[in-house]
Amino acid sequence: MTTPAAPAAPAIEVRGLHKKYGPHAILHDIDLTVQRGEVYALTGPNGAGKSTLIRTVTGLAFPSSGEVRLLGRDVHNDGPRARARLGAVVEAPARFYPQFTGTQNLQIHADLAAMAPGGPRVGKGRIREVLALLELTRMEGRKVAEYSLGQRQRLGVASAILADPQVLILDEPTSGLDALSIGLIHRIVTSLASGGCAVVLSTHHLREIATYAHTVGILTGGRLVDTVDLRARQAAYRFRVDDPVGAAGRLERLPFVQRVSTRTPYAVAHLSSDAHVPDALAQLSAGGFRVYEASPDHFDLYEYYRERVEQA
Amino acid sequence: MLTLVLLELRKLLGMRSARLALLVCLLLPLLWLVAPRLSALLNVALTSGWQLPAVSLGVLVQFLLPLFIAVTCAEMIGAEVSQGTLAPLLLRPVDRTRVIVGKLIVALLYPALLIAVLVAGSLLAGLGLGLGSFTGGTGLGPGYFVGVGPLSSGEALMQVLRGSVLAAVMLMPVAALSLLFGVLYLNTAAAALATLAALNLLRLLVVFPENVQRLLLTSHFDLYARQGNVLQPLVLLLIYTVGFGLMAVYAFDRRDV
Repeated sequence: MTTPAAPAAPAIEVRGLHKKYGPHAILHDIDLTVQRGEVYALTGPNGAGKSTLIRTVTGLAFPSSGEVRLLGRDVHNDGPRARARLGAVVEAPARFYPQFTGTQNLQIHADLAAMAPGGPRVGKGRIREVLALLELTRMEGRKVAEYSLGQRQRLGVASAILADPQVLILDEPTSGLDALSIGLIHRIVTSLASGGCAVVLSTHHLREIATYAHTVGILTGGRLVDTVDLRARQAAYRFRVDDPVGAAGRLERLPFVQRVSTRTPYAVAHLSSDAHVPDALAQLSAGGFRVYEASPDHFDLYEYYRERVEQA
Repeated sequence: MLTLVLLELRKLLGMRSARLALLVCLLLPLLWLVAPRLSALLNVALTSGWQLPAVSLGVLVQFLLPLFIAVTCAEMIGAEVSQGTLAPLLLRPVDRTRVIVGKLIVALLYPALLIAVLVAGSLLAGLGLGLGSFTGGTGLGPGYFVGVGPLSSGEALMQVLRGSVLAAVMLMPVAALSLLFGVLYLNTAAAALATLAALNLLRLLVVFPENVQRLLLTSHFDLYARQGNVLQPLVLLLIYTVGFGLMAVYAFDRRDV
């Protein structure tokens, strides 16, 4: 008889985390779990404790009480093993030795990554690959002192993904980046998450992360006041119609519609599945309503965040 | 471990403070060739190039070398903090103890590097006076500059090497102390200042009985020229070095970065 395999530990597990600097409490009783393949966005006003939380989660700072586990290992008491599959940038812009070139800096990180117990060997080919991925091939031989802010930020992401991390933690990864570079970072993060990597991002760009994060943690005053599961809020659709109230009444009677509201000129319906959108359109048309537009009604994270921070 | 030591060595040689210190150590001995009052101050006429290393050590060892060491070793931590490069280093799966021990090893090698360059510069400058056999002393052997009779080149070289090794060991506690303050303050200027202040305070303790003075680090800053059995002060200086080093390792292990 075989015993069933134990469930894999969460990628990141924070339990009862408190952090004080002298008499000042910076973080209060933080509990946080990030699963493999999840993109977790951490947001909050300036001074909320985001950077301290990230530094404590990565093992750079030590908690006053509580514990942090990365892939099941205590980051403060078993640091090298816990960080063996961690990629992180904890400052924006990312910092490197300015006297060395981009390639030399990545080689330093590759050598250090290989020092992990059973750590992956990162060859020159992988360094060239991540530099190309972050569109830095042209700058690879230049000293980092000559890099622009955005180039340094991209080099930071390159160093974080260098050793194929299973946990990726990025503090303000798109800070100082142009629109194309932001898109590039999004694609990289999404691709890593699809491959099972847990990603934690600290950010102020709520509307930007709402498009690809799975979960958003709102931190204010050192407390994690809310955790929003964005996956549970994506099935709403809005229909721009000539008679929103009438259309809402028609939609409400349909079995696959869970909730209906109006926001002139829209009737907004929460469907049990995206697959029912054509059915809803057909029903509206059969009811004599003129439909000008049908689109996903994205959860307005910014508005939600504003309310939560004001209430806290 | 070798990876970390080589990395630290590369970083050290890239520091402006280290480069400046090495340049000064290399070029300053040239000054002795054109310093008209040097012989009067030393109360001895320099007759051989083998005497210049002792002159250089005598002039630099009390203030300039501790200053160079204090600043550069403090910078090994302080510059990493100010540049923000310490955090990325510690985010890698490397034990903190190994990181700080790597820094400590390089910090302890730094005085030897400075002394080596200083002695090399001195011997380079000494070519003008000649590096052959001579009658007198190197200033680092018996009879100091006066010597005890004729001295062959080989004997002179051995005296210079002995003095250089002792000088390097003598300055190792300064490097370890500066690294310790670097860990405590995470700031170059504060750590260097604390190191120099500590050394000067120790020097002020001459008011205490001789038994206490024998235990002071600064009482042995003439070790490089001492003759006879130097084992006791050598052991004491190594205890200081290991003590400061262990404190630095302990402080760094649980330090928030």
